[in-house]
Amino acid sequence: MKLTVNKGLSLVLLVIAASYLFMAYNLPEYAFVPVDADLIPKLLGFALVILSICFFFSKDIDTEEQKKKRVIKKKEAGMLLGVMVLILLYITVLEVVGFVIMTAAFIIVCTRFLGYQNWIATISTAVIFSVGAYALFNYGLAIRLPAGILPF
Amino acid sequence: MFEGIAQGFQVAFSWEAILFIFIGVFVGTIIGMIPGLGPISAIAIMIPVTYSMDPTIALVMMAGVYYGSMYGGSTSSILLNAPGVAGTVAASFDGYPMAQQGKAGKALAISAIASFVGGTVSVILLMLFAPVLASVAIIFGPPEYFALMLLGLTAIASLSEGSTIKALISAVLGFMIVTIGIDAQTGTSRFTFGSVNLLDGVDFLVIALGVCAIAEVCFLILNRKQKLSGLHNIGSLKLTKEDFKEMKGPMTRQSFIGFILGVLPGAGATISSFVAYISEKKMAKNPEEFGKGSIKGLTAPETANNAATSGAFVPLLSLGIPGSGTTAVMLGAFLVLGVQPGPLLMTENPTVFWGIIVSMYLGNVFLLILNLPLIPYFVKILKVPRPLLISLVIISSLIGVYAVSFSTFDLYLLVVFGIIGYLMRIFAFPAAPFILAFILGGMMENALRQSLTISGGSWDIFFTSPLTLSLFALTIIAIVVPAWRDRVKRRKGKDTPLGL
Repeated sequence: MKLTVNKGLSLVLLVIAASYLFMAYNLPEYAFVPVDADLIPKLLGFALVILSICFFFSKDIDTEEQKKKRVIKKKEAGMLLGVMVLILLYITVLEVVGFVIMTAAFIIVCTRFLGYQNWIATISTAVIFSVGAYALFNYGLAIRLPAGILPF
Repeated sequence: MFEGIAQGFQVAFSWEAILFIFIGVFVGTIIGMIPGLGPISAIAIMIPVTYSMDPTIALVMMAGVYYGSMYGGSTSSILLNAPGVAGTVAASFDGYPMAQQGKAGKALAISAIASFVGGTVSVILLMLFAPVLASVAIIFGPPEYFALMLLGLTAIASLSEGSTIKALISAVLGFMIVTIGIDAQTGTSRFTFGSVNLLDGVDFLVIALGVCAIAEVCFLILNRKQKLSGLHNIGSLKLTKEDFKEMKGPMTRQSFIGFILGVLPGAGATISSFVAYISEKKMAKNPEEFGKGSIKGLTAPETANNAATSGAFVPLLSLGIPGSGTTAVMLGAFLVLGVQPGPLLMTENPTVFWGIIVSMYLGNVFLLILNLPLIPYFVKILKVPRPLLISLVIISSLIGVYAVSFSTFDLYLLVVFGIIGYLMRIFAFPAAPFILAFILGGMMENALRQSLTISGGSWDIFFTSPLTLSLFALTIIAIVVPAWRDRVKRRKGKDTPLGL
């Protein structure tokens, strides 16, 4: 029997529910509290089990629009992954290199990567935005964003 | 009460408040105009900006962001047929055809005026109802609160678009996320996988921005080459006497209906705008004009969704319980600023309570005077190249989270929840129940455990008060009726928006 998308999803949810329940049952118990920390997790775990089973047997139709949303061309999937890598890179080196440089670099590289050709508009937006946001947070709102290798 | 209102006026008419309401409405409108980004993202992005501000002024500004983004959403609905959020979908039914006929300016002016009227009427109603509800809610104990929150959660799940069961699953998953971290009552660390970073739990901004903004960015990336049409000619903004005559009826009716639906848990802007559209169509002498650029067809949902926006503040301010995803994020903003909304807010912190309400009058005036003359300039935002816009939205979300936690771990979590939000979107699991459950989850768990502690562990406490029993009965109705409606709809093979 070939599983439909929704049936497949309900199985994934069942696995999540089972793992969550397993962890909930392994939470340490305290003898002197009337209601322990595991009550809600257990209730939630069982609620998800019941809902997943109902979902498995429900006649929820996978609409055409939904199917269309899931079809992504290889190139576009590459774009999504590419942007994700850029974000992860940004996060990883943000505190070392600093907010202003990393933000400007991210905006320039990401915008160019997504296909916008106008360098002047991209670079000026990147510089104005990163310096403006840094000034606003650090000096206006007293929230310190990482300075990194820059002295200010 | 009058003393409180006077205090509210004092706060709202201070130069500081006026400035920040203006900023809130302005920024909200801009963020709301970006296709895909709605009030949830707008409020979440603005939260870090409020940190060093006086809580009252900050919240007054956030309310401005809220209705500014609602109006901004309508703008992209009308001009591009690209509604940012579900609440502005109905505005595109007649707004977009009007724009195509070269009457975009007129459509935007109608939208601004209808939003103003809906917003203003409902603020008056909010002023009357919120204190009454707050005084009733003082008698609520933990069991009543638990039942009320359960009703709110199931109502939003049932009234969400699409399958009820998916919405309920989404709510349970949101609730599960909030159980991560140290349990406040016993000190047990739950589901942290040994990570120190998870001991404090997941910050709500990570959820709000991940599941909404970052997930939406994925779709912006996929649709970045979409051509924008209908942006060249806005046409005149002037409305004739006849236009006003036509708007009068829907504006009066839908201000009240929108407000009432906004107060109800789970309903909010989306349902009220659809109800407004459908009810006006049924009442109209010439319903065939609806969908082809009818003034009534645009006025009705625009009035209703703004009226519902203020209506949604009633349960938030007087009970401390949000009824929608957006008010849930608003509640998050309250808590970040150290203000606990609820029945005691009016007596303990009247400046905040009345300041927010009174500021809404000003906010609505600003919405009108800001939007009418600035419409041609606002439209230019829609012309900002998508790749640049995408980069800026990503960075704004990252700053939003980092400025709260100063932890890169939370930024990684943001990416994870962005992926979860994207998957939810493509498999048609609604995000609003997930966010609401995340915000309400902690409060629900506390209420449940407090109730059971009071009763010494006996569940009878939930079945002794008539109020709790009625709320449970409503919860069951909220689950059964939409499930039955889904079944009937499937049998008929019809698929109308929200089943209305």
